[in-house]
Amino acid sequence: MNEIIVVLGTVGLFMLLTKFYQRFPHPLTIPLVTTTLVSALTLVIFKIPYETYMEGGEWLQKMLGPAVVALAYPLYNQRTIVMKYKYSILSGIFIAMVTGLMTIYLMLKWIGADDSWMFTALPKSLTTPVAMQVSETIGGIAPLTAVFVMLAGFVGAIIGPLVIKYGKIESAVSRGVSVGSASHGVGLVKLKDYGEQELSVGSLSMGLTAIVGAFLCPLFVYIFM
Amino acid sequence: MKIIRIIVQIGILNIFYYIGVGIVSLLNLPLPASVIGLLLLAISLQFKIIKVEYIQDGAGFLIGVLTLFFIPATVGVIDYPQLWTTTGLLVMLAVTVSTLITIYVTGSISQVIEKKEAAKKEATVEKAKGGVTVE
Repeated sequence: MNEIIVVLGTVGLFMLLTKFYQRFPHPLTIPLVTTTLVSALTLVIFKIPYETYMEGGEWLQKMLGPAVVALAYPLYNQRTIVMKYKYSILSGIFIAMVTGLMTIYLMLKWIGADDSWMFTALPKSLTTPVAMQVSETIGGIAPLTAVFVMLAGFVGAIIGPLVIKYGKIESAVSRGVSVGSASHGVGLVKLKDYGEQELSVGSLSMGLTAIVGAFLCPLFVYIFM
Repeated sequence: MKIIRIIVQIGILNIFYYIGVGIVSLLNLPLPASVIGLLLLAISLQFKIIKVEYIQDGAGFLIGVLTLFFIPATVGVIDYPQLWTTTGLLVMLAVTVSTLITIYVTGSISQVIEKKEAAKKEATVEKAKGGVTVE
């Protein structure tokens, strides 16, 4: 019984809040943020333990595996863009991955955060489903990773345009690859405003970053920790 | 009949996922099984082992509602109040700074590389054209 209520309730809430996002598109109104907030508040207000909620939540979560596999389809569709700008995009993704991992690693070492924070924060630039699975693989706390991933997305979508403007990042490919590989899908919401090419390079970069990151994050942990 | 097609195609995607699960546990890889499945599917599509028509409706459907599948996990944040400690807030600040540096560094460097790539391409095109005129 609980299971059905959670599944139907979440699906209904998600559909409603997706409509809301379509009316008021903004990085802070994306359905992931609003649905998570409303669900979490509901649990807190009605004092429902997370385990009880997860009896149904698990059903939805089981679909995450095949859904990540499905990401191969848009990647396959975008293969012509890869061929056109292969060096710029591939090197950009690699630079973004290394810069992102090194900067977060050094800053967390500097503030003295323990390893569990490190494992949780390292996958922050990957798209949420992959980041959570990578986090679990390397020993991080997946729900907190999701928070950091969202934060990286908001930063890219809201402050990213200032970096692009004052950093004089003028070409479509470099705008797409930098925001797409640092701020995944949430960053893409902003790239739409720049143009079609920024958006498609960005979404391709997001996908490739997820794959490259799934290999590099565990490797980074193995080498540095 | 579209709904049946979607369900069958999700079944195919699930097969790729479980092959990924098998590979990860067999080789003891520190990688998410779903990413291995993704790679296998991408390779199968590229080498026409699988036709894109066999998965496109199922994949399109799953990607359309992808967010829905990780909401249960993100709600789990209520079990981790340590996010709101000093360390938690500092980590969030670090994530912010790291993201901004990443965008700046990546954007600046890839801009230079792109210019070189474009120049090279133009040179090749010119050469090819030159070759044609000579003939």
